[in-house]
Amino acid sequence: MPTLSTSAQSDPLFEGRLYDGVRGHPHDVTVEFGPSLLRLSQPGGWSDEIAATELKRVESDGGNVRLGRKDLQGWRLILPAAAAPRVQSLLGKEARYGRWIDRVGLVPALVVGGFITAAVLALGYIAPHWIAPHVPMSWERNVGGAIVGDFGELRCRDANGQRALEALVERVSPGATKGPDGIKVAALDVSVFNAAALPGGYIVVFKPAITETNPDALAGILAHEVAHVHRRHVAEALIREFGIGAIVRMMGGDIGANAEQIVSLSYTRQNEAQADADAIQMLRRAGISPRPTAALFAGLAKEKDQEIASRAVFLQSHPLSKGRADRFAASFDSRATYRPALSPSEWNALVHICPVQSKAS
Amino acid sequence: MDAVTSAGAANNSRGISFTGTWREYLPIAVTNALLTICTLGIYRFWAAARQRRYLWSRTVFIDDTLEWTGTGKEMFLGFLLVMCVLAPFFLFFQFVFPALVAHAQVTAAFAIFALFYLSLIYLGGFARFRALRYRLSRTYWHGIRGGSDDGGWSYGAQYLGQIFLTGLTMGIAWPWFAVELWNARWNKMSFGPLQFESELEAKGLGWRWAAVYLVPIAVSIAAMILAALIGGFLTLQHDAGGGTAPPSLSALFFLVFAAVYLAIPLMTLNWYAKYFRMAAEATRIGRLEFGFDATTLQWLGLFLGNVALAVVTLGFGLTYWGYRNWAFMVRHLHIYGEIDVSDLTQSTTHAPREAEGFADAFDIGAI
Repeated sequence: MPTLSTSAQSDPLFEGRLYDGVRGHPHDVTVEFGPSLLRLSQPGGWSDEIAATELKRVESDGGNVRLGRKDLQGWRLILPAAAAPRVQSLLGKEARYGRWIDRVGLVPALVVGGFITAAVLALGYIAPHWIAPHVPMSWERNVGGAIVGDFGELRCRDANGQRALEALVERVSPGATKGPDGIKVAALDVSVFNAAALPGGYIVVFKPAITETNPDALAGILAHEVAHVHRRHVAEALIREFGIGAIVRMMGGDIGANAEQIVSLSYTRQNEAQADADAIQMLRRAGISPRPTAALFAGLAKEKDQEIASRAVFLQSHPLSKGRADRFAASFDSRATYRPALSPSEWNALVHICPVQSKAS
Repeated sequence: MDAVTSAGAANNSRGISFTGTWREYLPIAVTNALLTICTLGIYRFWAAARQRRYLWSRTVFIDDTLEWTGTGKEMFLGFLLVMCVLAPFFLFFQFVFPALVAHAQVTAAFAIFALFYLSLIYLGGFARFRALRYRLSRTYWHGIRGGSDDGGWSYGAQYLGQIFLTGLTMGIAWPWFAVELWNARWNKMSFGPLQFESELEAKGLGWRWAAVYLVPIAVSIAAMILAALIGGFLTLQHDAGGGTAPPSLSALFFLVFAAVYLAIPLMTLNWYAKYFRMAAEATRIGRLEFGFDATTLQWLGLFLGNVALAVVTLGFGLTYWGYRNWAFMVRHLHIYGEIDVSDLTQSTTHAPREAEGFADAFDIGAI
């Protein structure tokens, strides 16, 4: 039986308490620190050596030091707090935040993690812009079809008016209403000045946007919405607002949102600017003067402070920046020959697309 | 050292005490919050493990502190496991249900719908059992841990059945089922060689549960009578040419609704306060018995304190909820009786496994 004092005379001995992990009864032991091991002994003659590699620290309340063994569950050695420096030199620094954080250190982990988090959030903002063009139009149509239906009672169904409305869309963007992915445009009998692009290539124009404008200005509004559809801004907004999972859900036709949420989809500033730029191009190609559109926007901007209720909605969904009307106005070319967007008879039909008596407000 | 350790020794008259302080916990709270934010939430499993290591190590049970040995890694793996099981489960129902509806298979759609909710309830009961088992298996005292040999599968079925019957009785039967579920959980748990025993009865819980139904009704009737009286009085005054205009009907309705919606949670809390006191008293292990003394007002103080702390600190206080809840439980708990630590041998229950922390990954309440 080796005596402890012979091996390391200068080392202090510590009185410890040992749980063997088999029984709950504690044993009083004398503990000696070796260069890479612990020696435990009892007055009765029992002794044991444990290699430092088998030992691990266990959280204590600070009043003592607790050690456990990697190979024996429940084995615990409780030492007085004075043994802490010895434990430190035997086992190295205490694990604090979890191994993967400790390895790099708290501050580097926070910096790197912060960057990654910021990058992921940025990606979440940018990614819809990249992904949207690759979402099949038919999936988007599933969502639009489920929500929009046939607009029911609200839809203005005058046949001549509908023809004129479609002709106006065709005028600004030839071929836009043709084919399976063609734009479906509808006038709604709602007494609110607004127009919107909905999922699945639906464009809706509310009654006042027809009756309180003129053919050229309405052409500008429609061109703007057509641009949203063609640029896939609608799918982009769906993904942005309902998450990447929205793509999968779009396939099933159920986005898990109600019609109101879908209609209030909002586009980014860049998307709005792009739709305006596209609309200006479309008007130029169609030979429609951009001035009435510019005048409409300028008028709306002036009304902004007067809070005319019916027009406020349009401003909410199409925020007018100061330069917006100016850009349309600047695109006016004095050498170009402009033709009216619709013939007087077509415009007359369009203005009367909705029944005289409004059904909803 | 004396082999028989009795609760109520010097300095620890309640048998259990919490020695942590919020200042000492602050570095853990701050770094946990920062790391959780900077890792998109992944660190929260490690944060939970650190929090528990701290809380357990500051909890003195009779003569020694508790020890938490669960790790962040195992809780993270548990979370991944649950995701692998639940994600296809959710996706399946999300697609199959609309598809069946679209094809006018109403009966089949309804069956799928029912199956979905029944499985969710079953899993909820199962997870609750496993969370308790997991916590006991990771809790050491005197080098001995707890656990259970039961997998909780039949508990899930019992839970499902009793939740279903509770629903059938519009919740009225809940106290009778709640006590049975408490007993079913705890009678399957053990610490070392000792089995937990619980004989909780619903006797004495019925009236407080009835109050959950009756008090809101009484409050709304009283409020309406009061509103009618005040309204009538003000109208008279108004007609007499003085006073203010009578309050609008909608304002009165709002007050009645507010009173009812305050009465329901308060009465439920009132019931739970007594339920917890009785449950602790009905549970024992070996020669140790338990007691719990938190009143309804003290519970309310805990909840309102948590909310106020989170609001005042702009959300940072959330990191102290776990600390406050644990401290509350420990400070209101009593341990009576004695335990012979030389009889306490290592638990032979199902050895701890990685990924066992799945239920805890969702912070399902264990007790």
